[in-house]
Amino acid sequence: MNKKQFLQQLDSALQGLSQEERRDILQDYEEYFASGLEEGKSEEEIASALGSPRQIGKELAASHQVERARTTATAGNVMRAVWAVIGLGFFNLIIVLAPFVALMGFVLSGWLMGVSLVASPLLVLVSAVINLGTFVWFDLFTSMALCGIGLFILIGMFFATKSVMRGFIRYLKFNASFVKGGLRHD
Amino acid sequence: MNVQFKKGVLELCVLVLLEKQDRYGYELVQKISDQIEISEGSVYPLLRRLTKEEYFTTYLQESTEGPSRKYYTLTDKGREYLHKLIEEWNEFTRGVNQLIKEGGSSE
Repeated sequence: MNKKQFLQQLDSALQGLSQEERRDILQDYEEYFASGLEEGKSEEEIASALGSPRQIGKELAASHQVERARTTATAGNVMRAVWAVIGLGFFNLIIVLAPFVALMGFVLSGWLMGVSLVASPLLVLVSAVINLGTFVWFDLFTSMALCGIGLFILIGMFFATKSVMRGFIRYLKFNASFVKGGLRHD
Repeated sequence: MNVQFKKGVLELCVLVLLEKQDRYGYELVQKISDQIEISEGSVYPLLRRLTKEEYFTTYLQESTEGPSRKYYTLTDKGREYLHKLIEEWNEFTRGVNQLIKEGGSSE
């Protein structure tokens, strides 16, 4: 592989990063080639010592996505970060995806529980309308109490989701800095 | 050696090399790969990450031979982090060496 091929492959692995960032990264590697050439190495030698441009690109993209998720933790950004980190290696399919799915399950069920409790008075009314005559005041009061509990759960879930996300992004960051990293496989 | 293990240590290597003087990327990579077998391309992602975490600052300087080079300077925050890493490293190797010694002597 020569310099041009290396840079092309790297560039195509960097999709999703900003133009500016891509240019900056490519410049680093161009500088590296220039320094190597000055020492009398060939482009091919330098490229093979650098390792796989695809793997390097993946790693740069992963750390970029994690950084973005850390600064603005929207659902989309977090998903992209998870996806990018999983892409770092097969190993990560298990140690990233599994905890992520489990956490999502927990968060989702918490929200569902909160929402359904809050909606319970509505359900009592709906059922009273549908089956006229089955309305019991006790049901309404119970459901209103449940609604209150539901509100607390929702507020709790709001903070829980935030801290779970933050914790998970920290884990992604740690993971991305440790797993693989284009080091030579012995 | 184990891949994960080396990657953690790479960070320490880069920081140590920058403690006494500013260096540019190629120089850093060559210094490290003289001692440890690494895939040279993996150092730049690390440099970018550590720069984002404000352990380094960078500046461009013209070189006599070719295009200008990006030099890395250790910040105070980076220095602090380096000292923490060195301490951890020493503690870790002391422990492992002790185990190797004990393991070897009991046979």
